[in-house]
Amino acid sequence: MKHIVEARKIKKTYGARGNVFTALDEIDLTVRQGEFVGVMGPSGAGKSTLLNVLATIDEPTSGDISIDGFSILNMNEEQLSNFRRDKLGFIFQDYNLLDTLTVKENILLPLALAKIDVIKLEERVEAVAEKFGITAILDKYPYQISGGQKQRTAVSRAIVTKPSLLLADEPTGALDSKSATDLLESLKELSEQEQATILMVTHDAYAASYCGRVIFIKDGKLFTELVKGKTSRKEFFQKVLDVLSALGGGTNDII
Amino acid sequence: MTLFDLAKKNIQGNFSNYLVYFVSMVFSIIIYFTFVSLQYNEKIQESILLSSTMNFLFMASSLLLLLFVAVFILYSNSFFTRNRKREVGLYSLLGLRKKTIGKMLFYENFLMGMLALVVGIIFGTLLSKLFTMILVKMMGSSAEIEFGISIGAVGQTVLVFLVIIIATSIQGYRLIYRFKLIELFHAEKKGEQTPKVSIASTVLGLLLLAVSYWLILRSFPEELTDGYIFVNYGIALVSMVIGTHLFFRSVVISLLKLYKRNKTRYYKGTNIIGTSQLLHRIQGNARTFTMIALLSAVTISLFGAAYSGYYGNEKNSFEMVPFSYSHQSKGNEFDAQIESLIQADKEHPIIAQVELPIVEVEGQLTFAFSYEANPMKLLPEKAYNEVVKALQKGDVVTLSEDEAIAIKPRLTEYNSSLFKGEQLHLTEEGHELTFVDLIEGSVLPFDYPDFYIVVSDEFFTKMANDIKPQLFKVYEVEGEKSTEVTSGKINKLVGKEDFQVYPSFYTEYKEGKEGNALTLFIFGFLGLVFLAATGSIIYFKQLTEANETKISYEILRKIGVNKKAIRKTIHMQTLFVFGLPLTIGIVHSSVILHFVSNFISDLIGANVIVPIVTAMAAFIAIYIGYYILTVNTYNKIANK
Repeated sequence: MKHIVEARKIKKTYGARGNVFTALDEIDLTVRQGEFVGVMGPSGAGKSTLLNVLATIDEPTSGDISIDGFSILNMNEEQLSNFRRDKLGFIFQDYNLLDTLTVKENILLPLALAKIDVIKLEERVEAVAEKFGITAILDKYPYQISGGQKQRTAVSRAIVTKPSLLLADEPTGALDSKSATDLLESLKELSEQEQATILMVTHDAYAASYCGRVIFIKDGKLFTELVKGKTSRKEFFQKVLDVLSALGGGTNDII
Repeated sequence: MTLFDLAKKNIQGNFSNYLVYFVSMVFSIIIYFTFVSLQYNEKIQESILLSSTMNFLFMASSLLLLLFVAVFILYSNSFFTRNRKREVGLYSLLGLRKKTIGKMLFYENFLMGMLALVVGIIFGTLLSKLFTMILVKMMGSSAEIEFGISIGAVGQTVLVFLVIIIATSIQGYRLIYRFKLIELFHAEKKGEQTPKVSIASTVLGLLLLAVSYWLILRSFPEELTDGYIFVNYGIALVSMVIGTHLFFRSVVISLLKLYKRNKTRYYKGTNIIGTSQLLHRIQGNARTFTMIALLSAVTISLFGAAYSGYYGNEKNSFEMVPFSYSHQSKGNEFDAQIESLIQADKEHPIIAQVELPIVEVEGQLTFAFSYEANPMKLLPEKAYNEVVKALQKGDVVTLSEDEAIAIKPRLTEYNSSLFKGEQLHLTEEGHELTFVDLIEGSVLPFDYPDFYIVVSDEFFTKMANDIKPQLFKVYEVEGEKSTEVTSGKINKLVGKEDFQVYPSFYTEYKEGKEGNALTLFIFGFLGLVFLAATGSIIYFKQLTEANETKISYEILRKIGVNKKAIRKTIHMQTLFVFGLPLTIGIVHSSVILHFVSNFISDLIGANVIVPIVTAMAAFIAIYIGYYILTVNTYNKIANK
């Protein structure tokens, strides 16, 4: 299977000399195509920093990252923007939908920005909307729909360009448990049926239990890694909880 | 800590928030104070005393300015509190009593107002000096302006602004009582709805604008009554105001929605972002846009008209007083006295002098002529041709005995087809003359009725036998624009009986220039104020918007829109916000100026295109400055 993410010795430090804070300390990470990977760890462990670096929003101090075969560290602003648009999809905790656009317009935005032909664009939007069951609300505005619907809209927007890598930052953080479960099921389905590669940062052991593999970070270093394999989701959930209690600091987030 | 301290700390801590409000207050005070000091200025006082129009103009302007300044301060005050509702809500949430919060807001506003008043008066003093110098320069005099603070101006400014500041402070006090706590927290959420628009209001908006344009542009009826003016232009004004508002409220929205229909264009790049943002904001901005468009229209119109007057003054003076000096002959001794006076002025040697015999007769015309034709003044061909040579203006004429040429009465718009082939019956003598032409080129200073007819020398001699001609003497000298001393003496000698205007060109020219300069100055000043204020309003509005939409642009960056594209859409949106009201303002003012120029150009006989285009260009140039400033600041906020 093809490697989508290959990160070698990523280091990220903040602050000036004498007072340096290391957010990421030589982390290696490989994600294969079709994998659904969870990233966990206590607050301040460097989860979000890792995600931002992979998302090309933040730059590592040193190390080497390639995504879908492209080395992202030597790109300039414009190349990075295009790379984000074409290769990456994002899902955020607070949805990050544009209030001035309808659900449909929000979803098609990345396609419009890539100047895709209108007919093809409409087809893609229809297909994605159907998959996530939001066809009925396509003409509504974000402030008219529920949190779960917003997040499904956000996911639709993230995958409408068929990105090589889908990055999710606490996607279930603001959702009720029913909506959260729906969303996680859909993400799992995406990775299993359509070979979508997903990297999800989460605090929530329940959310992590939907992943195929979970990596744990502590103090900027790789702490351990769990692979679901053939175990059931419930057993995997228990395993995640065990690691979290060993890790400390994350347990109070269990639902 | 006392409440007073808290209010003071509030200002210190949140300075940037307060700065915008403070600056607009200071700005208003500076403007008002400058204008009032000018009003109290001696030089200007003289002109005001001399002319009742000038007096009226100043009174009206200062009232208008007062009204405007009050509205502007109230506007910035509500803009300021809108941004602070959340903070006020927080105080209430933390358990501060309503009365305490109210008092705090009152003190805060009052304190700022007082500080603004002091700063405003200090800067206003400096600025009024500058403006007085500009005015004096424009009037063409070289008088020294003394530098000093006018107590009267300070008193008037302090009084006016004290009232305004107390009013806004009370408004601040009442803020906490006017809203529920929950409303205070949702202050910024307003105006985010998608605008709905009815076809009826769109059509009505366009219709009202069309009607107002038609009412303004249609030609005068046969009889121009006060009632007609009042009703016609009253309706035009009202429908223009409402039409403009509907234009921004409905027509623009409809147009944007129409634009959205074309998916190929709409779904292309950042078009989708820019268009939808504009569509969402326009309804909240409609009132501001209307105000700005109308203010721009008024400013451009007034300034254009005033500048036309200033610009056309020289030409106008030449028409009103064609020769450097003119007088009626009153015996040899008197005439010699005048001639020696003119000859004594060695700096302005005589180029030409002409004697003009004029015979006043009564007569009838064979066609309907709305001008007061009697008494008509006959002038011999020979004398007229001498005038043509002396002034080097117009063409030499040749007439046979029964032919005549009419000279177009000044301040009218007749053309030669009305006269050609028509006849003139001289009542007493029974003579008949045929008009061969109507020409431009008056010879004597204006005196109503201004109807001169050139006749052949033979016919004139015949007439002169029966009626004794009046003899006029005219002189043309070199450098007639600077004959201050001689002109003064001549004016005194000749007196005011000979003509309705001055007998010397210089005085007419100078006085017109001073009057027009003052008018232009007042309008220019008001225009500058409106311009600065409207520009600032858009600037502040865009900045608030930038802060509100910062998150959207962050999202866009994350999903792969590069800085350049965001910059482009910000450019496009700002251009729209600045360009739309300005365009409407310019179209409105073009219509108004077209109407005004109909009689202005008759009045001053000058080409009004140049000054009007200059006024518009100046307006646009300043707007472009604001536009660039806004785009840059917007970018700094939203596109880091």
